[in-house]
Amino acid sequence: MTEVVLLGRRAVREVIRYPEATIPTLFIPLFFLVVNIGQVSKTFPSSTPFLKGQGYVAFQLPVSLMFAVATATSGLALVTEIDLGYFDKLLVAPIRRSSIIFGRLTADLVRGIATSALVLLVGIALGASVRTGVLGALVIVLLAAAFGVAYAGFGLLVALRTRNVQATQSSFLLFFPLLFLTPNFVPFNRLSSLMETLARINPVSYVIVGLRSLVIDGWDAGKIGVCMLVIVVMGIVLTGLSLRVIARYDR
Amino acid sequence: MTVQSDVAPGLTPARADAAAIVARGLTRTFKGGIEAVRGIDLSVAGGEVFGFLGPNGAGKTTTVRMFCTLLPPTSGSASVAGLDVVDEAAAVRRRIGVALQEIGLDPVQTGRELLELQCGLYGITGRRARERAGELLDLVGLADAADRRTKTYSGGMKRRLDLASALVHSPQVLFLDEPTTGLDPASRLTIWDEVRRINAGGATVFLTTQYLEEADKLCDRLAIIDDGRIVAEGTPQRLKAEMGHDVVSVSLDGADPAATEAALAGLPGLERVVAEPGALALYVDDGANSIAEIVRRLDRDRILVGAISVARPSLDDVFLKATGRRLEGKDQQQAEVTA
Repeated sequence: MTEVVLLGRRAVREVIRYPEATIPTLFIPLFFLVVNIGQVSKTFPSSTPFLKGQGYVAFQLPVSLMFAVATATSGLALVTEIDLGYFDKLLVAPIRRSSIIFGRLTADLVRGIATSALVLLVGIALGASVRTGVLGALVIVLLAAAFGVAYAGFGLLVALRTRNVQATQSSFLLFFPLLFLTPNFVPFNRLSSLMETLARINPVSYVIVGLRSLVIDGWDAGKIGVCMLVIVVMGIVLTGLSLRVIARYDR
Repeated sequence: MTVQSDVAPGLTPARADAAAIVARGLTRTFKGGIEAVRGIDLSVAGGEVFGFLGPNGAGKTTTVRMFCTLLPPTSGSASVAGLDVVDEAAAVRRRIGVALQEIGLDPVQTGRELLELQCGLYGITGRRARERAGELLDLVGLADAADRRTKTYSGGMKRRLDLASALVHSPQVLFLDEPTTGLDPASRLTIWDEVRRINAGGATVFLTTQYLEEADKLCDRLAIIDDGRIVAEGTPQRLKAEMGHDVVSVSLDGADPAATEAALAGLPGLERVVAEPGALALYVDDGANSIAEIVRRLDRDRILVGAISVARPSLDDVFLKATGRRLEGKDQQQAEVTA
């Protein structure tokens, strides 16, 4: 446990000392938030039934939160470490290899909390109102950060498998279809039948729906529960695969 | 200040008479059938500085990575500090310090943070970690730069910090993979001093190098590795003595190599002639007494050469004898060896 704390502290220090690695990851979510609202706010006024009296920014906010936390930053940090040789230094230390992964994920949690809180505040500044109040806002930030941690396992997996910076960097692109094959612009029932089918089998949809329910609907245990389940399963699968690969690294 | 020879709590110190490193038929074959290490047998005694000398691609780093538990052998076995590197890898890691060829530093951390973290990974925390980091920073002369990020360090400073990070837990066996490659002469001498000091503190040092002088000056014993195989092993003095002769170097300075070699054929005490670019190396029993006869023969055949010099055999000559190639500066050039 001590080694996870030590490696986690180091990774968090890295996030703080390299803001240039985090700031660009905020540009896309904030850009999409502002542009999407500007483009469709007249099409979907607050009288639109699925907005339940809120502006379209409330509907889009969860999508931007997802964009903010789903990054390959940890994967990139790990592959850079492999490249520089520091990774070997860690492998030869008498520590569990899993602590290298958990140390990185600690930084993802901290970064996820910071970036999702910022995006949420921007959303509120643009007119969104969190129906579930301050507690709901906290839950939104934590769920978004947890999704970031779960997703980070994918970047770590690619970093360990490919040991290639470019490949790890482009792993982020996989998130685009996952995010757009969802009810990101309109609810499920407003999508074409093909898109609705794809969105309904895409687990990321349920994370968006869960976060959105906290902003627009109020406390909905079913939607929040499914959202949490998706995050947990995704985390277990992707982190589990990363742990498996690091355990067999060069063996 | 000296490096303490005590070991981490709970560990048994290496006995001075016990073998610190043993390899038996050690091989490593990579994907695609590349045989990097082809059946190495060696034994390094506790407290020795053992050199592993060879050109790039000879298998030095692969061997070190197997000893350090970073790479499993394809076949054969190895033990470090009496522990099997595969079956007891975790225990081996607690007893070894490693500074690999690629300097393993985290550029985001300061020198002090990096050493304190390294201490933590070996179970040394809190005030003890701060004290140990301070001691090591003093030891490698980085106290003034301790609170700067390592990305601002020069190559020599990075090497010294990397070395310090390998020492946090006072390892029984220290592996240094080409610790001076790419360093300027002054930094190289500093590293040599550190290696001697670490060894004086009781640690066994296994050092790979492609520098003959380094192997000659630092190592109690050495093995020469070429193409994945050990081709010579012994103390530097014994290896050179086994050559059993002096080397007379004749700088051709435009003279015809074949004619010069023909003129010197049958020279008393001549063991062999090695043609090198622009020169001939004559291996003779007594270099000083051969000079007059060499000059007489060249004068007889009206061959005008540049300089003639006499030297005792070097490790490069040992390498040449073992592999047919020179190591230093011209290891890619195949020399012609004639009897």
